Amino acid sequence: MSEQPEPVPPVQPATLQSPASLAWQRFIARGSSRFGLVVMSVIVALGIYAPFISNELALVWWSKDGLSFPAFTDLFNRRSYEKPHDLFFNVAALLLPPLLVAQWFLRQRIRTGRRIAGMFALIIAVGLMCWTPFIPGKNGWTAIWDHRPFVEQNIQTWRELPPESRPLAVFAPVKHRFDATYPGAVLQSPGTHNPLTGGTYWLGTDAGGHDVLTHLFFGARISLTVGLVATGLAFFIGIIIGAVSGYFGGWIDILLQRMVEIMMCFPTFILILTVVAMLDRDIFIIMIVIGLTGWAGVARLVRGEFLSHSVRDYVVAAEALGLPKWRIMFRHIMPNAIAPLIISATFAIAGSVGAESGLAFVGLGDPTTPSWGVLMEQGRQNIRYPWLIYTPGLAIFIIVMTLNLLGNNLREAIDPKNNR
Amino acid sequence: MLAYVIRRLLLMIPTFLGILIINFVVLRLQGPTLVEQMQVSGGMGEGATAGGGDRKVQGAAKDVENYLDRFRRAGNDLPAIINLRGFHDAGDYAGWLRDTIANGRHKDTPSKRNRLEKELWLAGPQAVVPLVAVLADKANVDIHILAAQALTYCAYITLNPRDLSGMPSAELQRIQQRNETLRNNRILHLNTREAGVTVVDPKAAEKRAVLLALFAEPQTQAEYAARAGGALSAMVFNTGFVDFMVKLATLDLYSESRKEYVFTVIADRWSITFWLNTIAILIAWAVSIPLGIHSARRIGTLEDRITTTGLFLAWSMPAMFLGTLLLYHFCTDTAASKAWFPNRGLSSDGALWMPTGAYLLDLLWHAFLPLMVLSYASFTALSRYMRANLLEQLDADYVRTARAKGCSDDTVVYGHASRNSLITMITLGSGLLAELFSGALIVELIFSIPGLGWLMLEAAVERDAPLLMGSTVISVSLLLVGILIADLLYAVADPRIRSRYV
Repeated sequence: MSEQPEPVPPVQPATLQSPASLAWQRFIARGSSRFGLVVMSVIVALGIYAPFISNELALVWWSKDGLSFPAFTDLFNRRSYEKPHDLFFNVAALLLPPLLVAQWFLRQRIRTGRRIAGMFALIIAVGLMCWTPFIPGKNGWTAIWDHRPFVEQNIQTWRELPPESRPLAVFAPVKHRFDATYPGAVLQSPGTHNPLTGGTYWLGTDAGGHDVLTHLFFGARISLTVGLVATGLAFFIGIIIGAVSGYFGGWIDILLQRMVEIMMCFPTFILILTVVAMLDRDIFIIMIVIGLTGWAGVARLVRGEFLSHSVRDYVVAAEALGLPKWRIMFRHIMPNAIAPLIISATFAIAGSVGAESGLAFVGLGDPTTPSWGVLMEQGRQNIRYPWLIYTPGLAIFIIVMTLNLLGNNLREAIDPKNNR
Repeated sequence: MLAYVIRRLLLMIPTFLGILIINFVVLRLQGPTLVEQMQVSGGMGEGATAGGGDRKVQGAAKDVENYLDRFRRAGNDLPAIINLRGFHDAGDYAGWLRDTIANGRHKDTPSKRNRLEKELWLAGPQAVVPLVAVLADKANVDIHILAAQALTYCAYITLNPRDLSGMPSAELQRIQQRNETLRNNRILHLNTREAGVTVVDPKAAEKRAVLLALFAEPQTQAEYAARAGGALSAMVFNTGFVDFMVKLATLDLYSESRKEYVFTVIADRWSITFWLNTIAILIAWAVSIPLGIHSARRIGTLEDRITTTGLFLAWSMPAMFLGTLLLYHFCTDTAASKAWFPNRGLSSDGALWMPTGAYLLDLLWHAFLPLMVLSYASFTALSRYMRANLLEQLDADYVRTARAKGCSDDTVVYGHASRNSLITMITLGSGLLAELFSGALIVELIFSIPGLGWLMLEAAVERDAPLLMGSTVISVSLLLVGILIADLLYAVADPRIRSRYV
């Protein structure tokens, strides 16, 4: 009888943690990180739900013709929301709640059958949420194509009706539209009453007769879009150039490094200025230009990472296995080089937001979009109206500061030996 | 050391050229805007109606010519980087003209017209010989009118003010005479908007005969061939960029919007930006290094935390917000009180008649807030780096050795560690220069300082390409000089660099 080998105690999964989860724990343990995440979530939420916070249209309108949801229906009205980023945020406004529920749902330990049933229910719920606003009302399904009857269900019409024939309606807390100019509302101070909609200009109005608070909510959408699109583009270019430069070396490296050096020396703001002056002042062109000028730093960072990784054993092993080069570059080295990129992306988003508002501030922004920089430029030109300076300025300051704070904390969490 | 300087200077040449090329190509993206701005009222399109008579036609021709002159003087008729026009022969031109007719592009609309102009009307001397061949060929009857039209534009020679004085008078007279003939024989498509039909100039056949006679002489053709140059050399040298570089070297850039040569505009402006930036850098260094050292030596104390947090907040503060806030709070008169600081310019009225001391005080009074806004962004960044860097150095072995030898704390910090952190600070400082230039633009705008940045902004808003390009050249040169100085300081601070290039 041979002795039974002693059973090996199973490795405790709790003691083994990936560097990513350790870094996340260090990150979230800080109060300032949690604060920053909350502030960013609030900004994102305000941007996404801006049409429900600030609108002239009724959220719910119940007349004898039936029940309708004009503000929801208007979300996909191209006459109200012309720009693609608005459409994106409007879709996000409808999809975010079910996605959050789904996320919660997936985390629960539920039996597979029930989970599948739940997912089906969720899909149906999402579908209903997306389509319910279009179904009721006297126009029925035609509402999808023709929005005009719904646009008329706003607070101005409601107030003009005699009190006894007014339908039951729920309105947004801020009763102004972002694309409406109110006659006689030019440069009104905060707290002024708007006789047309019965709302109050909580933060005053600008030189064009728009409500500043509404402008602020919709400006968040622009800042967030600019930050993400421009940074995404810059990182896409920078990662490819840096990876090629660092992995292959040789004359490609020398050539690409000269390009990087040119871009590093470049006063980027001047280039952006030139491009925007020569092309149409469209917010998407501005985003793309900011992205196209911002890749140099990323390329340099990625190159450094690739240079240090390309001689390590695991890369040599992958090469010995005969894997294709792109696979080694982007599946083997890239995941190991991602940490410094995440940090620098956070700062880059802050930088792009600043660049966009700076551009709008010098008068080269997109005049058709409610960007924070445009508001600030009005503040500079009408210097005696401080709400035009403080409101957008604080908004830009808060978003930039929060992103910098998160970037800072991320750096300290990912690289604890520099913990100062 | 000299070898080091030469090496740095040589490395700057591709950088400088690269920046200029990128900017130049970007300026060429301008598309149809120029046409819209110039508002060519006649031309090949609307304005000149079929029944309008010959005078109206001639007026429209004159309009087009003015536009052509301005377009050419700005160097916009040439391709940006590579000119392939020398390689095209009569067959290519005939093909394009047929294509133009097939697509209806010869008819109307500014954008179509602009594309056509870039392809053909503005092709210049290189197109003349092939177009004459197209015109002379009996097989091309279908495109004769269009070819004659293109020829009148391509053969037309734009005379710059400087040519007028430099050219021998006989040649000048000949060119002017030919231009006159071309102008009188310009064929116009008279488009009546309402009817939607294009009526061709009734005298087209006669005009074509005149043109053919004009270019029949081999001497004239030889002159245009000489103007066009060889296909290969034209590919490289007859380009917009080379044209621009020549104009730059001879200080010949002309700003259409200001009716002045670009460098006379910049001459009054650049020194303001130069001094503002220089002083701002000095302030940034003078504040940030002591602050960084102070903060690093007291790490972990309340004082350090307050400094770090304050610097972090200042770092996140956009310059435009701070500038506008200062302008509102300190530079704007209110009913109750007068403003502390002036809100525009760098000197008061009549500052030139002040005694020197008063003048300097006045200057300081004007420049105080702009300098503050310009330097704070750099000094927050620099002192953060200084602190982190010094802390890193203080952990190094050589510092421990120095302490073990019994050096005092001050000697260790100022004599050993700071010296080493300064090296990194210099590289960071040169990286911040570009940001400083962007910041200068915003500060000049806020405080209405007539510097280079503001000029650049105005040029961008007016879409004045030569002015924008000229001011970009100057500011990039200033930037590169700054980087060169930083490199020199780097060599001064780091003996390893010096020893490598003895």
